[in-house]
Amino acid sequence: MRYRAVAMGLAAAVALVLVGGVGGVAQATVNGLTSGAIFALGAVGLSLVYGSLRLINFAHGDFLTFGAYAAFLANVTLGLPLVTAALVALAATGLVSVGMELGMWRPMRARGAGALQLILMAIGLAFVVRYSIAFVAGPQPRRLEVDVTSSYGFLGGLRIGQTELWVTLIAFAVLAGVVVLLRSSRLGKQMRALSDDLDLAETTGVDTGRVILVIWAFAGVLAGLAGVLYASALGSFDPNVGFIILLSLFAAVILGGMGSAYGALLGGLTIGLVQEWSTLLIDGRWKLVIGFAVLVVVLTLRPEGFFGSRRRV
Amino acid sequence: MTTLAVSLSAFGRPEFWIGVGILVAIYAILTLGLQLNIGYTGIYNFGQVGFMAIGAYAMAILVVEAGWSFWLALPGATLVAVAFAVLLGLPTLRLRTHYFAIATIAFAEIVRYVAQNADGLTGGSQGMLGFEITWQTIAASLQDQLGLAPQLSLVPLLIVAWVTLAVLFAVLLALGRSPWGRMLRAVREDEDAVRALGKNAYAYKLQSFAVAGAVGAVSGYLLALYLSFLSPEAFLASVTFISFAMLIVGGLGSFPGVVLGAVIVQVVLEGTRYLQLPLTDFQVASLRYILIGLILILVMALRPQGILGRREEMVLGG
Amino acid sequence: MAEGPILTVEDVYVRFGGVHAVDGAGFQVQRGSVTALIGPNGAGKTTLFKVLTGFQRSERGHVIYDGARVTRRGPHAIAARGMVRTFQLTKTLAALTVLENMLIAAQRHPGERLTTVFARPRAWRRRESEACAQALELLDTFGLADKAGDHAGTPSGGQRKLLELARALMVEPRLLLLDEPMAGVNPSLGRRLLEHMERLRVEQGVTFLFIEHDMEVVMNHSDRVIVMADGRVIADGEPQAVRADRRVIDAYLGTRREEPAA
Repeated sequence: MRYRAVAMGLAAAVALVLVGGVGGVAQATVNGLTSGAIFALGAVGLSLVYGSLRLINFAHGDFLTFGAYAAFLANVTLGLPLVTAALVALAATGLVSVGMELGMWRPMRARGAGALQLILMAIGLAFVVRYSIAFVAGPQPRRLEVDVTSSYGFLGGLRIGQTELWVTLIAFAVLAGVVVLLRSSRLGKQMRALSDDLDLAETTGVDTGRVILVIWAFAGVLAGLAGVLYASALGSFDPNVGFIILLSLFAAVILGGMGSAYGALLGGLTIGLVQEWSTLLIDGRWKLVIGFAVLVVVLTLRPEGFFGSRRRV
Repeated sequence: MTTLAVSLSAFGRPEFWIGVGILVAIYAILTLGLQLNIGYTGIYNFGQVGFMAIGAYAMAILVVEAGWSFWLALPGATLVAVAFAVLLGLPTLRLRTHYFAIATIAFAEIVRYVAQNADGLTGGSQGMLGFEITWQTIAASLQDQLGLAPQLSLVPLLIVAWVTLAVLFAVLLALGRSPWGRMLRAVREDEDAVRALGKNAYAYKLQSFAVAGAVGAVSGYLLALYLSFLSPEAFLASVTFISFAMLIVGGLGSFPGVVLGAVIVQVVLEGTRYLQLPLTDFQVASLRYILIGLILILVMALRPQGILGRREEMVLGG
Repeated sequence: MAEGPILTVEDVYVRFGGVHAVDGAGFQVQRGSVTALIGPNGAGKTTLFKVLTGFQRSERGHVIYDGARVTRRGPHAIAARGMVRTFQLTKTLAALTVLENMLIAAQRHPGERLTTVFARPRAWRRRESEACAQALELLDTFGLADKAGDHAGTPSGGQRKLLELARALMVEPRLLLLDEPMAGVNPSLGRRLLEHMERLRVEQGVTFLFIEHDMEVVMNHSDRVIVMADGRVIADGEPQAVRADRRVIDAYLGTRREEPAA
């Protein structure tokens, strides 16, 4: 299986270069790394929550939106510098995420709520978050105070916007931090253990309640960050911004294997890259369909994902 | 936001309530299919609006682009919807419930996306016109026969919509009570037990999905005729979730509950018109979606069986 | 009438992770016989049942039922051919009534086909009343007739066990694989069960293969005993002979040498 995939990948790479030229492929790769890193940030939390709680948090995309708007509130309305505003947004999103666990998910689990109940509640939460933001902020596109005009050229012909460069660097730095956290810290290992097998983790004496809260906080903060970064990179955003990329996030999570944080990370990068590369072959407006298509294809061929562990389907 | 509530400004007049009545019927039909899938078979079809869109667009394309007669286009488009259901269901119905749910959402979004971007076929965001000519003739003659005043021009559609609902309701109720329906309920409980008794659980799931697709397509035609103009905006994912709100308010497992739920939720949504607060149109529309979200959360938290459902029906595992 | 053993099992091999749940099992079951499958816990008996009925894949080997290879067939195809199993943990469908649990087992029911539900109402209503009558008769045999209209979650554990058996019998099986049929069933009902099994065997030639821990049942009510341990068949013969077999005694007392890790 692996060899076939590599062979197909090489064939696709050759096709891309033939169609778009080395420069085109390189530029698309640069763009893909930016969006891929953001997807990765969004997908990690989604995957950890699913792995430990078997809950597909349909409201996750709207946490991204929440992060973007919280940053807007702090930055534009309240006039705080962007970095501070971003930190405020992260804290706010993390708090809301934890609040939802304590106020909604935990009590429902305690009452033995079934999967359908939880899914519908997540969708309901998504609506409430998204449209409350819309209600308050209105439909007009908003912008954070970022520089959207200057850009850097490098490596002869490649360009990246100044903001996009920052976004990419921050995203990768945080991703690296996430990997270190998950790999080496005790909390990180516990999160991974829970996400892998909740019952087993319980028997090993881990305080699952506490770790679950940490997972929600973690997911919320990363979603908020992804929202702020995405809003910055896009330039302008509206209340639908998070929902629009939610399916790409699902694609990333499934590609990587539900419940595997590392898988989600790699999945996010892959989806981002594949979406950008696809613009060399087909019109750019079909970019999002690529994400959906990958999702359907992966579900059909290998539902347990490519980077995660083998069971669970 | 046209498909969420009737957008006529003068809501005191009869045309307004006729519009509400038509929307209730359309949503009820859409939700009947959802009930068959969720309440009876236990398959989490979150892409029902996709079948609505396929039905509507296939019908319009057949009439406008391919020049088919309206009467042939209706069954033709139903077959197209069923074909999509089978194509989608074949690989995805063997997946776990969660994965199937995501796959169906992705499907509905892909359908909408294609409708939005395949300008040549579907008119893109500009939409499609001109498929309702045959219908207009029928409606006009009905209007004459019933001696209706000109402003009640939507009454023929109201009648057709409710007659269709009644027919489909009777059909699905009969199916639900039949041995086939019993097998669906058994599949929902425990697929392996069903297989151990010599029955093909997968085939039942596929059939249920196909029927829901067909029913969704019918609601699509009615919506197309109501709007007279097809645009991808009419088929947002939120339509499926409004349908879910109606489903759970009425109660899982109850077809009469579907109609009840459709009426209640639609009335609640229309009730937002009566708010005397200084809100913009956009805010009122946002408020409607917030209400839908709250309905979903509160019903699932406080009374998951809805009005006519039973508590045992809600024990749906993962 | 068909010849030869009704079931031939050869070289079945199932591995979970590093553990061999079934490690090269093989045996034959003759038509109209009552065979007991015994062995210590973890011997692979239930896993073997899963392989026989198509719920689990064997890495190699084959299963021949009634002259036809069923090794890679799906579970519903195998059950429809007449090899039916019951489950150790009963799979009664709680949301359906007891009677409905029985009715879903009726084979060749036109009412269950989407194409004929509306097209041929008379045909399926006839089959439905036939199936109802058959179901009520079976329920009566097992003392469950008065519970026909109750939801299947309400009867006691032992009664649900009987329901599961009655339901399997509705399929009109030729080879019945019973997974611990006596567990949780009170002695008098258990006796009825055994009497009914004997009647089926004599009158209709139904073959039985059952997993059981109750040695009284095994010794007194089976023609042959197959013993499994560590995924293999270690003894296969008449009850008295098997009981005296050294290897069987060792397996149960656990005085074997240590198995090297797989």
